[in-house]
Amino acid sequence: MNFMGIEQFPDYKVPGTQHQDFSPYESNGGSIVAIAGDDYVVIAADTRLSSGYTIHTRKQNKLFQLSGKTVLGSTGCWCDTLALTALVKARMQMYEHTHLKTMSTDAIAQMLSIIMYNKRFFPYYVSNVLAGLDNEGKGVVYSYDPIGHCERATYRAGGSAGALLQPVLDNQIGFKNMQLDGEIPKVSKDRAVAIATDTFISAAERDIYTGDAVCINIITKDGIEVKEVQLRKD
Amino acid sequence: MFLTRSEYDRGVNTFSPEGRLFQVEYAIEAIKLGSTAIGICTSEGVVLAVEKRITSSLMVPSTVEKIVEVDKHIGCATSGLMADARTLIERARVECQNHWFVYNERMSIESCAQAVSALAIQFGDSGDGGSAMSRPFGVAILFAGIEEGKPQLWHMDPSGTYIRYGAKAIGSGSEGAQQNLQDNYTAEMSLNDAIVLALNTLKQVMEDKINSTNVEVMTMTSEKLFRMHTKEEVEQIISDLA
Amino acid sequence: MSILAYNGGCVVAMRGKDCVAIATDRRFGVQAQTIETDFEKVFQFNPRMFVGLVGLQTDILTVRDRLMFRKNLYETRENREMQPARFAAMLSSFLYEHRFGPYFIEPVIAGLDPKTLEPFICNMDLIGCPNVPDDFVVAGTCGEQLYGMCETLWKPDLEPNQLFEVISQAMINAFDRDAISGWGATVYIIEKDKITVKTLKTRMD
Repeated sequence: MNFMGIEQFPDYKVPGTQHQDFSPYESNGGSIVAIAGDDYVVIAADTRLSSGYTIHTRKQNKLFQLSGKTVLGSTGCWCDTLALTALVKARMQMYEHTHLKTMSTDAIAQMLSIIMYNKRFFPYYVSNVLAGLDNEGKGVVYSYDPIGHCERATYRAGGSAGALLQPVLDNQIGFKNMQLDGEIPKVSKDRAVAIATDTFISAAERDIYTGDAVCINIITKDGIEVKEVQLRKD
Repeated sequence: MFLTRSEYDRGVNTFSPEGRLFQVEYAIEAIKLGSTAIGICTSEGVVLAVEKRITSSLMVPSTVEKIVEVDKHIGCATSGLMADARTLIERARVECQNHWFVYNERMSIESCAQAVSALAIQFGDSGDGGSAMSRPFGVAILFAGIEEGKPQLWHMDPSGTYIRYGAKAIGSGSEGAQQNLQDNYTAEMSLNDAIVLALNTLKQVMEDKINSTNVEVMTMTSEKLFRMHTKEEVEQIISDLA
Repeated sequence: MSILAYNGGCVVAMRGKDCVAIATDRRFGVQAQTIETDFEKVFQFNPRMFVGLVGLQTDILTVRDRLMFRKNLYETRENREMQPARFAAMLSSFLYEHRFGPYFIEPVIAGLDPKTLEPFICNMDLIGCPNVPDDFVVAGTCGEQLYGMCETLWKPDLEPNQLFEVISQAMINAFDRDAISGWGATVYIIEKDKITVKTLKTRMD
């Protein structure tokens, strides 16, 4: 246990000298939930941006619309999120110019993985969840670790309350540990939005880095619908 | 016509007063010394057929590779300096694999041609990132590929210009062959008709008698993608020609 | 790594309408290696009071025995059954006595008051800071997951059978996302006239 060990005691310091150390990372909190269906995908993120016990803003959107059918949710070290999304957008623009088409969700997913792995030994400190429609129009969710490991899924929770939310999604969307006869039922778009909203209400109860409001993007072939639901602000 | 070009055909990046790059034009001329290659695009697939010049009976014909696989969904037929062709094909392969690695999708045929074109015009003695060659590449390439389930045929020459075609012939017999294609090609023709047309055209323009060792045939279809025809299959098609 | 997560495991307790439930996983391991899959972390101290202890296994057994010792002493001296609230106070002070050399356990208490039959749930940190909420308490290596599950599934005034369903789903889905908890679960439903013990089959990986 660290708190009982001697590690907690400060190093002996010479009076009058200044010790300056720089920490390149900060955790700014925030959570993401994404749920994919047959012809839609829902992605939601809270709007609180904080550091330690300080709330920087209650109105920070963490969802980035990369194309008409792809949205990236990114939390963690906010400056890394900004740098990463700027790079992704630039790379997407370059792709559009050289290949004369918009990047598909699957192409963005793979590219994002590689962009992140490029900084293997000084990673972007971010938790990413990418949601979109694939080439067949089906909803897909991709989730990442900070060094670019990419996994395709149908639902995923990430960010500061990821551990709280993931088992709820396993149960409610994945129907894990449920007595089912036959196949796994389909989750409707409205049900997905309702579950996403409810999980955030739960997360805001227990995670101090999640709260204020939740921004929900609903992606279908007709476009991206944006909704906001208020959460507790304490 | 070559007599009037005196000073301006030395430097590869010097325009003549009429606004021409002679070295590039000469490179295009060099293609006309190469063996004939034909590409025909139909709705079912693309066929590439090339002539192989067997200059010695001691040569092993199978080692003359004029049709190559760039990726599962892109095949190329080359005509001109084979050594230069190797360099360009290698670039095409690298670009296709890199595109797959970065984007997890098949590279489009046009993008592949564009990437090769970028290398093809990197001649001269300076420029961004240094030059790849001191002279233009003496190669023309036919790209046959499948994109989103649909076949495409592209052509690129030493100037780096790449254009999409329904049917295209390059190499020494290209003028006669192109005329023959012009007369007989329709966009609605079947892949089998296209194979027959390609080999018939080759047969007409080749100096040697056509046989299964001095031609190569490849088809690119959305089902089987890149597929070289075996010697036996080619033999069968040739025997059915007459 | 924290010594509290050396053996793994979790306990959750919930309040229902005139009843309480307490559930535990059955794994005992040493870091990633599973040693036993029938290790109970919940102990019956009184007819209507159960205590769950998670953390370092050796401390779980020691604390259980020392608590039993103190409780029995109280009951023989006072000649009455110990109330859950009194037990909590005793446990809290017991843990705080070891403020600077603590037992590495986190306790959860669930029970009904012997006289009033009022439901009582409580948990503490390893030095005995008590927390007595009116919904649910969690402890263990998948505490975060349990909070997420309980916060979504729990609602006031659940009947015993509903409470069983809620606590089971909360526990199983939470520890399925934790590598060092799980391997079966046991649920205790405490009502005024009966105790129901149910063993749950879960995924064993």
